[in-house]
Amino acid sequence: MSALHPDNETLTRGEGLVLNLYVISALAVVVVMMLFGLIMRMAQGTWINVPPDIFYQLMTAHGAGMVGTVGLASSAVMWFFLRKYVRLHVAMFAANYVLFMLGALAILAAVFIGGYAGGWTFLYPLPVHSMGVWSVNSAALFMVGYLLIGVGFLVFYLDAMLAIIRSYGNLGRGLGLQWLFGGDLDKTHPPAVVASSMVVIVNSLGILGGAIVLVMCLINAYVPSLALNALLVKNLIYFFGHVFINASIYMAVIAVYELLPRFSGRLWTVSRPFLWAWALTTVMVLIVYPHHLLMDYVMPHWMLVMGQIISYTSGLPVFVVTAYGALANVYRSGIRWSVPAQLAMLSMFGWAAGIVPAIIDGTISVNQVMHNTQWVPGHFHFYLLLGVLPMVLALMFHLIDARRPAGGAVLRLGLPLYLLGGLIFVGAFLAAGHVSAPRRYAAHLPQWVPYDQVGSIGAILVIVAVLLFATYIIVGLLGAPGNATAHAAR
Amino acid sequence: MSRARRACSIGAAALLLLGLRMPPVKGALEATMTAQMLLLMPLLFVAGALLRAALPARIVPRSAAWDYRGITGLVLASVASVFWLLPRLLDSAVSQPAVDAARYVSIPLLIGLPFSVSWPRASFIVRGVFLLECVATLFRMGWLYLIWPHRLCNNYLLDDQQRLGQYLVLIGLAACIAIAAKLLWGRFDALAEAPPRASAQH
Amino acid sequence: MPLRTLLASLALVLAGGAALGAATDGFRAFTTETARRIAVRDHPVAVPAVALQSQSGARLRFADFRGQWLLVDFIYTRCPTVCLALGGDFAQLQRLLAGPIATGRVRLLSISFDPAHDSPAQLAAYQQRFGDLGQGWLAARPLSADALLQLKRTFGITVIPDPYGGYTHNTAIHVVDPRGRLVEILDSGDAQRAAEDLRRRLGS
Repeated sequence: MSALHPDNETLTRGEGLVLNLYVISALAVVVVMMLFGLIMRMAQGTWINVPPDIFYQLMTAHGAGMVGTVGLASSAVMWFFLRKYVRLHVAMFAANYVLFMLGALAILAAVFIGGYAGGWTFLYPLPVHSMGVWSVNSAALFMVGYLLIGVGFLVFYLDAMLAIIRSYGNLGRGLGLQWLFGGDLDKTHPPAVVASSMVVIVNSLGILGGAIVLVMCLINAYVPSLALNALLVKNLIYFFGHVFINASIYMAVIAVYELLPRFSGRLWTVSRPFLWAWALTTVMVLIVYPHHLLMDYVMPHWMLVMGQIISYTSGLPVFVVTAYGALANVYRSGIRWSVPAQLAMLSMFGWAAGIVPAIIDGTISVNQVMHNTQWVPGHFHFYLLLGVLPMVLALMFHLIDARRPAGGAVLRLGLPLYLLGGLIFVGAFLAAGHVSAPRRYAAHLPQWVPYDQVGSIGAILVIVAVLLFATYIIVGLLGAPGNATAHAAR
Repeated sequence: MSRARRACSIGAAALLLLGLRMPPVKGALEATMTAQMLLLMPLLFVAGALLRAALPARIVPRSAAWDYRGITGLVLASVASVFWLLPRLLDSAVSQPAVDAARYVSIPLLIGLPFSVSWPRASFIVRGVFLLECVATLFRMGWLYLIWPHRLCNNYLLDDQQRLGQYLVLIGLAACIAIAAKLLWGRFDALAEAPPRASAQH
Repeated sequence: MPLRTLLASLALVLAGGAALGAATDGFRAFTTETARRIAVRDHPVAVPAVALQSQSGARLRFADFRGQWLLVDFIYTRCPTVCLALGGDFAQLQRLLAGPIATGRVRLLSISFDPAHDSPAQLAAYQQRFGDLGQGWLAARPLSADALLQLKRTFGITVIPDPYGGYTHNTAIHVVDPRGRLVEILDSGDAQRAAEDLRRRLGS
């Protein structure tokens, strides 16, 4: 037991401080971004009036802020558990935080001071064709913000790579590739190391793609006569964005591997199917992104076919081994249903159910009629709100669990509220998407308004629940004396 | 380093530099943009790296105080490299003797030499950031040369420029694959110092 | 040690940035072609007083054009590509600037950098191909290798042989003021803009 889940999760004073910064910043930003989201939904539901330029500023900030913060919070999950098996440097973890905050500052300034509202995807050539709404400098500042965040993550991943290589020889052995076709499988090989190895590989490549395309867009911003190939830019942006947001799921899922066993009392050991799943997903996550471009008929045909096929298979292996593993782990184990355990199981449901709308949209024939501004957000909010965020929250509750076992009335209310609000919120998106028109029009159809209103109510419930969680967690982290110095798992 | 090896390195660097100054060699390597960027400049870099042996024995350890994890040297090499990525300097290096001389001095001394001093000091993370930036730059420059609608250098032809772009992208791809393969399956004997932390706790 | 490294690295980046700014005319010119445009705009250069031979066989000197605005391009008559565009530009300029040409305030001058091949007859034929009106547009070749070299250096013309037996060269419309100084280099391919630019200068 101790080899797989060392009981000792002690944080040094410095480590505790940095982790607290991650947790508190992530919670604060998530709440603010959720409020931005609520404003947008209420504006679409005609309950409040938001001018279009402000709306798109909010949308840009919400997208960039949520993707970045989910990445940041997930990297905290990875760091917290991976450091038990390999030697990570807290300075690099802190460097990621500092660079992230500098990047976030640049992005916020670009959006709310510079007025940049070209979407978090900065799709070429929109950022440099603002029709006078924002300046080239603010678009450039936004992209520089991304570059800073990318460097931060790179530094953190390189530290993780170094640590995995030091302990296991190379990343292939961290992934367990040596056991794919036989060999004496070491059952004590930690799932956290497998997942981390996968993430550092794919997201370093994602960051490389981002580093290339961001600088090219920056050059184009100041040398407009140099026209880029819009399709190539779009491919690189979606490669970068898709890999980045997927990596956050695969970082956060470590919380499930690490937390469920301690409440069920059963080990979560690696198996050959588990290793195969992670190895296959390493490749598939890198080549699945064309499913974002199914509507771009100028794309090479084979890439679209590949995008469709891989989008059926890419998420599945890791999800299947994880969900099956989770069920097997808790089945008749007499698990103690603490809040982290409940959140871990909720995340399994969110991930599973989130795959369904994704696969539907990943089908070319459906995509052509249903890829719209309701169904698509419906699909990724499902994953992120009910899949990834619960994983992250599971870690956060685990951090305060020892001192302040979660379970008061607040939480008995909070979890059901979160689930109910989340389901209403994503359900409204999906239902509106189902009845809606294809393509992405800027016009908001009147037929959608009732769905927007229902969605807003769902969003309010979610925000209330997250505010409860955030207060509880932050008070827990800051309240108890010596919280940053020592902390035992149980 | 033994005296003989030192003399060898310095001799090799001097020979290489002299060889690259010889009109037929210089002419051939400057005849195309591709040769200038992919042969002449890398060879000047190598000459600078060989010159490391010429440094007085005390200088290298002393410079370490200003070169934490090799960062200063790699920053110097990167900053100096930016100049030789500019089409304007590539162009005038062929037609203006002063720029030509600056190239023969600065690439060995400001890029090759600092790189060779600092790379061994660089930590895994510093190397990683540096390499990723190098690979990204290969792709960016290749992309630029491929799509730039006009000649960037008055001394070179457009198809030369585009061929250089292709080569840069291909080199970037090869570097990417090589680095990924090394990380996945390579040996890192120099790094493997600590046993797995978990098993150490048994 | 990290602090010293940070300071040294920052100093290097700042110094590098300053040097880069100096090497690119304040981040304006990354190519030779842009650089020479900026250079003559900031510091006009005197045109060398070399001897030329025109399409009619007459001898010319740059000094002959003192007091007139002069638009100069560099061509070779066998050119299958950019010189065709330049010839078109000049024929168009001849029409657009017919007024100032008639009053003797403006002249157009095409200079061949291939004097061995471009005899006066070839030069005249080149002009004919574009419908030369016979007034205000001269085509000429330098009479010595040294004259050609001086011209290429002053105007910043680079000529390199291409694989098809011809030449690749940079193209532009060069503006020489009445005092015989190269003051502006304009993009070729836009006669309208060049004519406007010159009219503005005539007006002032």
